[in-house]
Amino acid sequence: MCASPLSILRAGPPPPKVLLLPDALFFVRSVPAVVDPASDGGGDGASQVASQVELTLEAASPFGLGQLYHGYFWVPGSDRAVVFAAYRRRFTPEQTSAWSGADLVLPTFAAIMGGAVEPATTVVLSSPEGLTAVCWDKGPVPADVRFQPIPPEATDEERQLARKELLRGRESLKIIDLAEPPVAGPHRGDGEVVFRSGDFVSRLPAGSARGLDVRDKEELTVLRRSRARDVLLWRVGVGCVVLFGLLALGELALFGGSLWQRARRVKFNAQAPIVAGIMTRQEIADRINDLSTKRLLPFEMLRAVNPKNLSGPQASIFFTRALTTGLYTLTAEAQTLNAGDIKTYQNGLEALPACASVVIKNQQSRDNLVTFTLVVTFKPEALKPMAPAP
Amino acid sequence: MIRTLRALFLSRLLREKVLLVALALVAAALWLSNLAGRTAVFLVEERHTTASLADQARWLAHRNSVDKVAQDAARAFKPEQTLDSTRLLAAIQDLATSSGLHNSYTAQPEDASTGQFSVHTLLFTVNKADYPSLLTFYQALQKRAPYIAIEQLSVMADKANPNSLTAAMKISSVEIAR
Repeated sequence: MCASPLSILRAGPPPPKVLLLPDALFFVRSVPAVVDPASDGGGDGASQVASQVELTLEAASPFGLGQLYHGYFWVPGSDRAVVFAAYRRRFTPEQTSAWSGADLVLPTFAAIMGGAVEPATTVVLSSPEGLTAVCWDKGPVPADVRFQPIPPEATDEERQLARKELLRGRESLKIIDLAEPPVAGPHRGDGEVVFRSGDFVSRLPAGSARGLDVRDKEELTVLRRSRARDVLLWRVGVGCVVLFGLLALGELALFGGSLWQRARRVKFNAQAPIVAGIMTRQEIADRINDLSTKRLLPFEMLRAVNPKNLSGPQASIFFTRALTTGLYTLTAEAQTLNAGDIKTYQNGLEALPACASVVIKNQQSRDNLVTFTLVVTFKPEALKPMAPAP
Repeated sequence: MIRTLRALFLSRLLREKVLLVALALVAAALWLSNLAGRTAVFLVEERHTTASLADQARWLAHRNSVDKVAQDAARAFKPEQTLDSTRLLAAIQDLATSSGLHNSYTAQPEDASTGQFSVHTLLFTVNKADYPSLLTFYQALQKRAPYIAIEQLSVMADKANPNSLTAAMKISSVEIAR
C-alpha cells in the first residue's frame, strides 16, 4: 500500500543514495597537496589538487588512469590529500551498473573522513573482509589509512590480533572503534553529506564529497550536468509556486479592491442626485448671469458683416442663411457670382475693429455661382446695440 | 518539508520533472494573464471612479458659492417684472403682432428651475417675414432686456424670394419667485 503524501512529507527528506565499496579493493596513499593561489584564478585550489592527484596516481600505479576508479580527500587549506584507487576489473559490470543511480560512490573508509576528531586519533572500521584504520595526526585530512584483511571464518581472538597488528607502529592518543558501517543521513541541502556510525558523525562538504566519488570522471561530469539541470528545473518549479503565492495575494488584493470600489460606487450613486441639483443650479446661475450682463446682438452682427456696408467691389455677395453660435460668433452661408470678391470681402471683414477672426470655408462653385460659409467671431463687447426704434 | 519535496522532485524521471514544470509554467502564465486583465479593468474603473468622486467633491464644495452666484446675478432683476413661461409666451405673441409678424408659432416652453430661480426658454419661429418687421420685433425684444433675451438666432432667405425670410429664435426669460 502506498504511503500518503502527508506521511511522506512528515518522514522528511530521504537520505542520499550512497554506495559504499569494500575497503579491501583500494590502495591508499597520502600525498602532499600544493596550492598556488596566483595560478588558481581565485578558486580554492581544488582543480590544482585534482591534477596533482592524477599525476601522483599515474606515477604510483602500474595501471593507467583509464583503468582505475579513483578518488581523493582534501579540504581547502590542507597541505595533504588522501588518494585512493582500485583497478576497474575488480568490479563486475553488474556492480558498476548499479552506480548510475547513486548520488555518491566511495570506499567505506572515505565516508568517515569528515569526522571532527582530535589530533592523533585513529578510527577503526570493522567489516566482514577486515579492519580499516583511518589515522589522523593533525589537521582534517587523515595521515594514513591501513587495511588488515581477516578471513571470514576468523574468531574473535583472531580479530583482536588483527586489530593489534593494524595499530602496531602507530601512536594514537585516542582510538575509536566503529561497530557499524557508516550510513548516510538525510539530505540537509546540497552543502554537505553526513554519515553516522553510532555516535560518530562525519560531515563531508560538497566539494570534498565530489572528490571522493570514484566513478569515471567523464560519467561524473555528465551526472553533475544532469543534476544541475534537475536543480534548475526544481528552481523553476519553486519559482512557479512562489508566483502562485503572489498571484493568490493579487487575487486577494483584487477582491479587497473590488469591495472598496463597490463602496465608492455606492457613495457616488448616493451623491449623484445632489451633485446633479448643484450642477443645475450652477447652470441656471450662469444663465441668469449671462442674461443680466451679456446680450446676443444678432442683427448688429448681420449689419457689421453686410457686404453692402463695406467699401469695395464685394457687393455681389449676398447671404442665404445666418446662424449665431454663442454670444460672439456668426456663421453665414453666402453666394456670389464673382469668386474674386470673396477674398476682398474677407480682407474687408478682417479690417473691422470688432472682428476677432474671419474664416471662409466650404467654397463650392456651380454654374458660375460660388457658395461659401463665413464664420466671423467678434470681440466681446465690441458691437454696440443699435438705437431702439422710436 | 521543502527538502522532502525537493528530494521527491529530483528523484522523478526527467520527463516527469519537465512535465511538472511545464504544467506549472502554463498554469502560472494563464493565471497571470487572467489576473492582469482583470487588474487592468479594475484600475480603469478605479481611476474613473476616483475622477468622478473628485468631480463630485468639487461640486459639493462649491454648493454655497453656486447659490451665491445666482443670488448676485438675480440682483439685476426686479422680481415683479420677471416672466413665467405663460407671461413670456404672451409677451412674445404681443410683440410679434405689434411688429407686423404673421405666420409665427412658438414651441412648448422649457423650464429649468432651482425653486427660487427659473429660466424659461421657448423657440419662436416666423415664416415669410420681411426684414423690417423682423428688425422691429428684434428691437422690441431688446427693449425688454434683460427680462427677455435672445439666446440664438437663425435667419434663412427663401430661394424663390430672397426678401422673404424664415427666422427662428431661442428666447429666454428669468423668473424670480416673490
